[in-house]
Amino acid sequence: MSETNSSTPDTTARPPMDNSGGGQPSVPLLALRGISKNFGPVQALQRVDLDIPAGQVTALVGDNGAGKSTLIKAIAGIYAPSSGTMMWNGQEVHPHTPRDAAALGIATVYQDLALCDNIDIVGNMFLGFEDTSAGALDEISMELKTVQTLKDLQVSTVKSVRQLVGSLSGGQRQAIAVARAVMRDARLVIMDEPTAALGVTQTANVLNLIKTLSSRGISVLVISHNLNDVFAVADRIAVMYLGNLVSNGPISKYDPSSTVELITTGASERVEPHPLHSFA
Amino acid sequence: MSSSEDLSASPPNLVTPVTEVPRWRALLTNQLTVLVFILIALMLFLGNHNSRFFTSSEMSFLLADFSGLVLVAVAETFVIISGGIDLSVGSVMAVAGVLAARAMQPLINSHTNEAVVLLLGTGVALLVGMVAGAINATLIVGFNVVPFVATLAMWYGGQGLALVWTGGQPYGLNPGAQTWSAATIPGLPFLSWLSLIVIGITVVLGLVLRKARYGRYTFAIGSNNFAARAAGIGVKKYVGSFYVLSGALAGLTGMFFDIRLGSGAPTTGQTTTLIAIAAVVIGGTSLFGGSGTFLGTVLGAAILIVVQDGAIFVNVSANWVPVVVASVVAVASIIQSGRLRLRRRS
Ligand SMILES: Nc1ncnc2c1ncn2[C@@H]1O[C@H](COP(=O)(O)OP(=O)(O)O)[C@@H](O)[C@H]1O
Ligand SMILES: [Mg+2]
Repeated sequence: MSETNSSTPDTTARPPMDNSGGGQPSVPLLALRGISKNFGPVQALQRVDLDIPAGQVTALVGDNGAGKSTLIKAIAGIYAPSSGTMMWNGQEVHPHTPRDAAALGIATVYQDLALCDNIDIVGNMFLGFEDTSAGALDEISMELKTVQTLKDLQVSTVKSVRQLVGSLSGGQRQAIAVARAVMRDARLVIMDEPTAALGVTQTANVLNLIKTLSSRGISVLVISHNLNDVFAVADRIAVMYLGNLVSNGPISKYDPSSTVELITTGASERVEPHPLHSFA
Repeated sequence: MSSSEDLSASPPNLVTPVTEVPRWRALLTNQLTVLVFILIALMLFLGNHNSRFFTSSEMSFLLADFSGLVLVAVAETFVIISGGIDLSVGSVMAVAGVLAARAMQPLINSHTNEAVVLLLGTGVALLVGMVAGAINATLIVGFNVVPFVATLAMWYGGQGLALVWTGGQPYGLNPGAQTWSAATIPGLPFLSWLSLIVIGITVVLGLVLRKARYGRYTFAIGSNNFAARAAGIGVKKYVGSFYVLSGALAGLTGMFFDIRLGSGAPTTGQTTTLIAIAAVVIGGTSLFGGSGTFLGTVLGAAILIVVQDGAIFVNVSANWVPVVVASVVAVASIIQSGRLRLRRRS
């Protein structure tokens, strides 16, 4: 797991990619079926079907307003879908709060980063789940676990885990938010435009972090507008267009120009539409 | 950093040694040192000016005044760190004190055991304070009224009720031959025992703020409400509890004034709200929420009490005392805001 320079991580530990061939599909980590969501008259999601296999990086792409953030908020328990079902390891689930989702192993790293600036890294890593002994916060235990988790994820840029989070860079904040999810035993980490506000080095750090996660068997669902990033880390692509999931499949089926076509028009002659429907 | 030898058992490239003093704590420690220095300097100045200042009677007077402020100020610290404010504490003190006195008066007149009377009064004051706090909490959490407005209404309404329920005259409490404030039980004056209890409660609250989940969530909610909710913290429940806590401590402080003054007066606490908030601000707590310290508030309260009570020792006439206190608050706030700006920039 120490090698992170290969953009196609080792696939031997992975379940087979299945939905394009005719073989028996293994149960995906997360399966969405017919998820719709409307805000009053606005139909933000229309019958979205999506499988997220275990241990893979799925990139969710689409134009502004396509419904990407709404989709991940539905998965994360922030919005209740208007209709549709969600299966987690084959079991139907209905997370109503972020805490429900976290209990399943779904962790979301928000675009507006849910960290407390005035609390240090350790405090943020454990927020809501603090170690205590005899009623008092067990700072030593939390600090050691924080240091270990950051080490496991090869996050080496923070000077001290006792720094206030407000003093960190955007990339470091992403790393802390992700590390927090990993420490909570997340099986699926969802990231909404993690590199949107980052410079070159920080972007590279976050992309490395995503690869590290998937090499540890953790699924990542990442929203990104940057196709360079997408093609650098993703195993799969899912394209949204005006509330519809218009295409999804292994990254090998896509190239940057067909992806742009899908994002802007909702269709591409070179990529078959709705691959999931053909198997479901 | 010399502590790194102690860590020979730790894995090699720890991001930070466990025992390293965090930078933010060093910063706060530094700021607290300044407050301690100001407090000591003030007291030395006053003692130097007037030898009566360091007499035990003057010191116990200071201690009593401090005890009548510190609980309310510490409660306000929780509220303000959480991103709110409680303007009602002064009036809640008055209402709780008045109703406690009203409950105690007939028992005193019928010569009931004084311990029973005091327990009853304390219970009533606590209950009244918690009810007032619960009303604040309901307005703020249940109806999304901004804390400033909800607690301002409670402050104003409370003043009215304190007058209505007394007809403007204090309820006199005359327990037997000796007033409570002059009583002495084993070794110490009764009031000093009460001050010890107040200090005990204060220390517990300080530990809660620094060391317990409750305190951590107070900071989290004030720092980033969304993050606190996303972390599964029951934000509404906690926010409500801060106002109930504040009401409860205002109630207890109202009872303290009943004992000290020998009456339940509708005018109790008229300036307490503002002095308490001033103590919090002087102590370095940000009115924007998310940061602050318990010790800062305690020192801020002590400094304000020393200034207020010490002014007469340097021949400031009584009418000028509020102006002197106000000036200290203004200067301290300027220093604090400069410090915050410096810290943001760095
Ligand atoms: N809370 C909301 N209330 C009303 N409309 C919303 C809300 N959130 C999103 N929308 C609408 O739903 C659509 C999809 O938005 P969103 O999921 O944020 O898109 P994306 O993240 O792909 O840019 C947009 O038309 C947006 O205006
Ligand atoms: Mg979005």
